[in-house]
Amino acid sequence: MTGRVCRGCGGTDIELDAARGDAVCTACGSVLEDNIIVSEVQFVESSGGGSSAVGQFVSLDGRRHIHHLGNQLQLNQHCLDTAFNFFKMAVSRHLTRGRKMAHVIAACLYLVCRTEGTPHMLLDLSDLLQVNVYVLGKTFLLLARELCINAPAIDPCLYIPRFAHLLEFGEKNHEVSMTALRLLQRMKRDWMHTGRRPSGLCGAALLVAARMHDFRRTVKEVISVVKVCESTLRKRLTEFEDTPTSQLTIDEFMKIDLEEECDPPSYTAGQRKLRMKQLEQVLSKKLEEVEGEISSYQDAIEIELENSRPKAKGGLASLAKDGSTEDTTSSLCGEEDTEDEELEAAASHLNKDLYRELLGGAPGSSEAAGSPEWGGRPPALGSLLDPLPTAASLGISDSIRECISSQSSDPKDASGDGELDLSGIDDLEIDRYILNESEARVKAELWMRENAEYLREQREKEARIAKEKELGIYKEHKPKKSCKRREPIQASTAREAIEKMLEQKKISSKINYSVLRGLSSAGGGSPHREDAQPKHSASARKLSRRRTPASRSGADPVTSVGKRLRPLVSTQPAKKVATGEALLPSSPTLGSEPARPQAVLVESGPVSYHADEEADEEEPDEEDGEPCVSALQMMGSNDYGCDGDEDDGY
Amino acid sequence: MDADSDVALDILITNVVCVFRTRCHLNLRKIALEGANVIYKRDVGKVLMKLRKPRITATIWSSGKIICTGATSEEEAKFGARRLARSLQKLGFQVIFTDFKVVNVLAVCNMPFEIRLPEFTKNNRPHASYEPELHPAVCYRIKSLRATLQIFSTGSITVTGPNVKAVATAVEQIYPFVFESRKEILSFTT
Repeated sequence: MTGRVCRGCGGTDIELDAARGDAVCTACGSVLEDNIIVSEVQFVESSGGGSSAVGQFVSLDGRRHIHHLGNQLQLNQHCLDTAFNFFKMAVSRHLTRGRKMAHVIAACLYLVCRTEGTPHMLLDLSDLLQVNVYVLGKTFLLLARELCINAPAIDPCLYIPRFAHLLEFGEKNHEVSMTALRLLQRMKRDWMHTGRRPSGLCGAALLVAARMHDFRRTVKEVISVVKVCESTLRKRLTEFEDTPTSQLTIDEFMKIDLEEECDPPSYTAGQRKLRMKQLEQVLSKKLEEVEGEISSYQDAIEIELENSRPKAKGGLASLAKDGSTEDTTSSLCGEEDTEDEELEAAASHLNKDLYRELLGGAPGSSEAAGSPEWGGRPPALGSLLDPLPTAASLGISDSIRECISSQSSDPKDASGDGELDLSGIDDLEIDRYILNESEARVKAELWMRENAEYLREQREKEARIAKEKELGIYKEHKPKKSCKRREPIQASTAREAIEKMLEQKKISSKINYSVLRGLSSAGGGSPHREDAQPKHSASARKLSRRRTPASRSGADPVTSVGKRLRPLVSTQPAKKVATGEALLPSSPTLGSEPARPQAVLVESGPVSYHADEEADEEEPDEEDGEPCVSALQMMGSNDYGCDGDEDDGY
Repeated sequence: MDADSDVALDILITNVVCVFRTRCHLNLRKIALEGANVIYKRDVGKVLMKLRKPRITATIWSSGKIICTGATSEEEAKFGARRLARSLQKLGFQVIFTDFKVVNVLAVCNMPFEIRLPEFTKNNRPHASYEPELHPAVCYRIKSLRATLQIFSTGSITVTGPNVKAVATAVEQIYPFVFESRKEILSFTT
């Protein structure tokens, strides 16, 4: 209870008095809680293995809580009573189980708020309780669903007066709220309210209304009242801006009711986005077209240039003929240059053509040069692609075959669904996921370094445990098993079933079972004593295992339980005889069984036996366990063997 | 995926979650240290493993139970699970691929109209719940199919169900109800 805050003054210094059972704020002196013990749920383990809650006085506690919270929300008595009724319904349907009391109570109160139409938000409750809204919302939804209460949809108009009051408009309060309501109606008609928080809508409406009535309210002031984020409010305002109503003047707005409705803002936003996308696409297409045009012009220019060049080349060549060797080299250089240029032109042309093809544009443009170079590119690509591994080159199929064969040679899964179907699995890629040895070593090293502390702690822990084990003080934490799972009751008659059920879960600690036994034993004789006992040896064993060695040393559990059970079972009607007899042929060995575990246990009786070692303690259990299992097999519940171990946890 | 009898509705499956068992204990540290595509969450006791093809993420628990998420069809989920089991085999575990089960399918679907949520909620009371304070969508549960639908005012519907078939049936079932409380689109923009 250290993290608690006083509800009255916000102080954190809270004094808990365990003796009186109350919590008092030392700052303001208000009693935050009394009868603390009552509000906590305690569990006791009953002898039957189950646990039950005690000391929880639901009605009293719930009423107090509801009053406390309801008064903070300023709800009237009628609402509080309704909330309490909801709470009682929730309790009677066990909806409080597994949930915090405060959550359930808050949900009940909110349910009332919704049905009664009071201007409270779930957020207010979460504010009071300091609990996440969504947690409360979950509880609320569950309660509403389970109790079949159809809360009417929230009307944002409810909150207007409340928020208007908080914004302090003074005398003009009424007018402002009326304007805000009108705005809100308009917003509703323009589909602004679906899927939106009512408080955000209210905030936007109030802000606009306040401005319309010449009040200077900032966005900040409004959001502190309506409790939404600033951006949310701004979004609502911009959405409102988009509606035709926002184009009206104040006077017009007060007089005119526009007939048409708008599409939801989210929808229009989506449409706008879509349109923008389309526009973008169109634009990019156009851009490409223009580019194509430009490049075609470029091409034409290049061609023109080239056409004019050969003449120069020819001139140069003629010059070279009669010139010196130097000239020829220079001319050669020149030729090379021109060739280079040609290549470039061809390349640009090629680019353009590729564009065209991609765009699916018109093919017709002047293309004369560069056609011999066409073939140059794809082979280059191909040669690039060539070294990529193919399945055959890397011998994947071989490795797969190998894997499959090794798989089939494995004896473990020859049939059934256990076998991993390898079809379509590319082993090579999987191999890539797995690091090779050196990489693994590096990673391991890194990991070890990073987690050195954890590893050290782990080692220390192990060492400690080992030490404790040596000293014999180690307590093994056995996992807590749920007590829900019980063996199914198998009985041939209703009476027997009820008896077994009674035995399995002790209904009340206040029933005097011995008297009951006496009653039932008075009903009939006990001729089926022998075959009755193996039947109950299961439960007998259960009880015997549950006992601590010390208690077991006191008396033979099987016999003692057997004694208790015998009269209970002995009152079986005549029908039972048939089943008993039917079981008998298979139980010549079983007949002697009830005796055997007894004998074993009697042996283990002396205290000295258990005192020397704990580990040996299991053995007698195992020994007496075996015949019990076989006795149970007779009854048809084979899985008892594993159930029995779980019973230890109780 | 599946089409309604009257109107063709595209149901786009966005996520398929499946589980399977390997029936062997998995040494998480070994997986973590020898795999390149893993994240080891030691404090939680799980390893996340990602595959590229199909693009799935698997949560591996040391008990041998594995949860795969991120597939976009049931077949893909199965394929991914098998691949995952294979890679575990390659890591040297005696993996047996059993108990494969698709547990959850998430799909989205767009209605060609908008939906009046308050009206829709009122008409389908016990199943639908609409809390704008908590969530902008109506939550509609179909108990028999174990499917949950989130219905938004714009007409888009998110469906979660135990398998693809259930999701498809859920959409088929919900269609007449949302059609009832649809809103005619006023501004036709293409």
